[in-house]
Amino acid sequence: MATPRPTRRQLLHWTGAGAVAGLAAPWLSGCAGAPESETSDDATGGGGGGGEFTVYWNAGHAYAAYDEVIAAFEEEHDVTVNMQKYQWPDLRTRLLSDFASGSAPDVVEEPGGWVQEFAISGDALSLQEYIDADGADMGFPDDWQPRTISRNSFEDQVYGIQLHLTCTMLLYNRAMLDAAGVEVPATWDDFLDAAIRLTGDGVHGAALNQDAGYAWPWLLQNGVKYYDTDSGELLVPNDKAIEALQFQADLVHKHGAAPVPTPGTDYSGPQKLLSAGRAAMILTGPWDLGPIQETSPDLDLGIAPALTHETQATVQAGTSVFIPANAKNPDLSWDFIKRITTLDVERAATEEVGMLMPRLSWVEEPVVQQDERLAAFAQGFDYAIDTTEELRLTGKSGEVTELFKVLYQDVVMSNTPAEQAVETFLSEAGRVLEG
Amino acid sequence: MRSAPNPLARTASYTFLILVCAVTVVPLLYMGALSLQTEAETLAANPVLWPESPQWGNYAELFERAPFGNFIVNSLIVAGGITLAHLVFDPLVGYVFAKFRFPLRNTLFIALLATMMIPLFVRMIPLYVMMSNLGWLDTHQALIVPFLMDAFGIFLMRQFIQPIPDDLIHAARIDGASELRIYARVILPQVKPALAVLGLFTFVHQWNEFLWPLVATSSEEMRTIPVGLALFKQEYFTLWHLTAAGSVILFVPTVLIFLFSQRYFVRGITLSGLK
Amino acid sequence: MSAPTTTATAPPGAARPVRRRRGPFAKSLNRRYVITAYLFLLPAFAFFGLMFYLPIANMVSSSFRTGAQADVYAGMDNYTRAFEDAAVRNSFTVTVIFGVATTIGAIVIGLTLALLLNQKLRGRVVFRAALLVPYLTSVAIVGLLWRNILDPQLGILNRLLSDLGLPTQTWLNTHPLATVIGVTLWMTVGYTMVLFLAGLQGIPEEYYEAATVDGAGPWQRFWRITLPLLAPTTLFVSVMAVINGLQAFGQAYIITGGGPAGRTDLYIFHVFNVAFTSRDFGYASALSFLLFLVIVIFTVVQLRVGRRGEVQY
Repeated sequence: MATPRPTRRQLLHWTGAGAVAGLAAPWLSGCAGAPESETSDDATGGGGGGGEFTVYWNAGHAYAAYDEVIAAFEEEHDVTVNMQKYQWPDLRTRLLSDFASGSAPDVVEEPGGWVQEFAISGDALSLQEYIDADGADMGFPDDWQPRTISRNSFEDQVYGIQLHLTCTMLLYNRAMLDAAGVEVPATWDDFLDAAIRLTGDGVHGAALNQDAGYAWPWLLQNGVKYYDTDSGELLVPNDKAIEALQFQADLVHKHGAAPVPTPGTDYSGPQKLLSAGRAAMILTGPWDLGPIQETSPDLDLGIAPALTHETQATVQAGTSVFIPANAKNPDLSWDFIKRITTLDVERAATEEVGMLMPRLSWVEEPVVQQDERLAAFAQGFDYAIDTTEELRLTGKSGEVTELFKVLYQDVVMSNTPAEQAVETFLSEAGRVLEG
Repeated sequence: MRSAPNPLARTASYTFLILVCAVTVVPLLYMGALSLQTEAETLAANPVLWPESPQWGNYAELFERAPFGNFIVNSLIVAGGITLAHLVFDPLVGYVFAKFRFPLRNTLFIALLATMMIPLFVRMIPLYVMMSNLGWLDTHQALIVPFLMDAFGIFLMRQFIQPIPDDLIHAARIDGASELRIYARVILPQVKPALAVLGLFTFVHQWNEFLWPLVATSSEEMRTIPVGLALFKQEYFTLWHLTAAGSVILFVPTVLIFLFSQRYFVRGITLSGLK
Repeated sequence: MSAPTTTATAPPGAARPVRRRRGPFAKSLNRRYVITAYLFLLPAFAFFGLMFYLPIANMVSSSFRTGAQADVYAGMDNYTRAFEDAAVRNSFTVTVIFGVATTIGAIVIGLTLALLLNQKLRGRVVFRAALLVPYLTSVAIVGLLWRNILDPQLGILNRLLSDLGLPTQTWLNTHPLATVIGVTLWMTVGYTMVLFLAGLQGIPEEYYEAATVDGAGPWQRFWRITLPLLAPTTLFVSVMAVINGLQAFGQAYIITGGGPAGRTDLYIFHVFNVAFTSRDFGYASALSFLLFLVIVIFTVVQLRVGRRGEVQY
């Protein structure tokens, strides 16, 4: 890269602008020649002044608690907040198109993992200066769950602030376990034993998710790391990974204690089976509490801590907010982030929809402590792990995750021996990491 | 239009058609049923065929939760505008490829068809940059202009214009008619069925288009129905009763357009131009 | 207004159409018509240049680049990688099967239905409408609906089957690609039927009458009149079916997510994931361009074969 080479972005501008100028030069040349990203910076330097402030948000997270924050923000800065609500894949498509064209929204909510990815690619803004200035006042990082800082950092700079925090736990139908005289399982052996004993008469002891992400509690409990930074190896140690995957496949194919998961794009299968009394135990996060409550208010739902095998562990999840590098007015964006992550807002959102939050002081709130379900999930934060954190720093997380999906489905749906499938995965993914 | 030869074949035809139609229609009726269920019924693991009491309120809820009226208007403007443009441009270009001889005809035709061979998302980012440079993002013209004509329509019209006897054109030329007049007065009346098909399918495609309106709009008020429907999904599950209700609404105009246009492409041969 | 001129052109005694390969201006390229043709084409190609060829050129140029912004020159790397990539090979195979099956299915079923509905049958308007309705909505909705119906544990189909005492199905697990092909045909046969119906309208009744007088039976009439005269429509349907089939995307995106284990990983769905999940626009461009070449070849072959079979009357 010694010779100056036009960036793709510039090329796009030239082709786009050139094409337009060629055909309709007289009346369009004015706007065609002006890439918006470079001119807009100074225009909105100060306070906003009646402009528009664009936020990309998940369509499922449009809480009334946030509407109040937004109204106050609009009032204070004299701007109109344009909340663009999307599903995650659509949000990503939209965002990558923005990045490719050089434009960007002011604040983005992301489902976990994008902050580091976009920090590496230079599309996310480092928040370190803001945190150095305001961190103490807002309680960052001291009041955030410790594991939410590193997953949003790159090269010792913070690029994103955790907004919601969740983890996967064991949900079970208490009445079914009691009727069968089964104790709440704490280890894999307990779980397998319980699942087999609970199976029968149209009921499965357990239900596994079609989504490969749900394989990770098992892998983590067996001490498996997705990516080992020192050795550059995947699924380390391999034999433990094979054991954990085979355990899940056996649950389905050998013991018949769980139905074969059906490929698809949604995560609600096990939840529905649990709600309907057709599965006794599932692994899931707090997002399924609402639908269970809605469809089966009478279900005697139990929430157990994550299982222990080699170790006790589970998957950490939840969304963060970040500011794109090309945001028009980062100061304004930062103020928005500060307002939407206060303890008061967290509490209001929890009261409204039961979402779990990343502040340490949130766990102590009465609304959490008096709700046994929330409290149960909050306990998992101590040992919940963001599985792809190290892998993301390689910049190849997307491709490797696609291959892992094939691995999981191959083992759990198609009953391919885990040893063989892992071997295929390692050779394919190894090539991706090298290339 | 030929009559079925004998009663046995006739009965077989009916049986076959009724079976096939049952397969095509019943799943859609199920969607209609879903749109009238409560949220709990749609989420139930023991699926419900018909709701205990029909929830007509689901349709009202669409309009309460989102500017659904805007979505409908936007979809009508965009799909309608594009369809009109296609009906004007596609037959003209198709006519040239069907009835004119000129150097590079086959090469240009392949080049034309080539435009259908890249997926939209490959075009998407360059188009997005172009629209952004024009300052057109989040406007109706950004949704309409990139789709003013397409190779599908031109190819369709070429195929339907090709069988028209050349003598018709010769005769008109001898009468001294201009090329545009020949096109408008001789060619177009002959291909009304194809025009009806073109209008119908263009409208259906554009009415259901998702990716480009997703990227080219940036305010909720500018969304079209398919993009707007994405609002009725939560992070981890679909609000099926609302999605189904929205899908039913999405159906209404396309079915109406079909009922309107089918008169042209399925009427009896005795009424058509070639007699 | 066309009536007086047309009566003269329908050859009354033509039991079979005359094979002729000459256009109206075959003898010489009349300059006036050439200019007229280019004049008509100019606005169209200006539009396609701006909205299609520029983006295609952009795609080709990115296919030689790599990085999150596709801004680092990479030579042929993306192409050599494509040929070594097992996932790409898999999705290409899946897609060719899908494309061939949906093309043949759409033609055979669509033509059969069109022939049936071109008869004088009571209620044929209702039948036509019923067959076309699945096509009037989007792939996304069709996908969601069928995913919901076919789910082995939660779908309405298995509930009905077990209520009737019949064995239940797990097609999405056992025959995922066939299921996705089936859902696609469910959606698209009405569309091919309509195209064939419109094509059948263009065949003059006189040919059939003349053939019947000559003693031709229904099968002979079908092979000697219907099929040859329907050739332009058939060519159109098959070219479009191949183009659409090899670029199908929504089915995998919505119904199966490409699974289980890549068995329904349609090519363009795979490329979309390369572009927007892995954010490798350079590699995605190379993969798109390779498919582009494959489709061009398919189409040119079809047009060649089609031209040979084309008849004019």
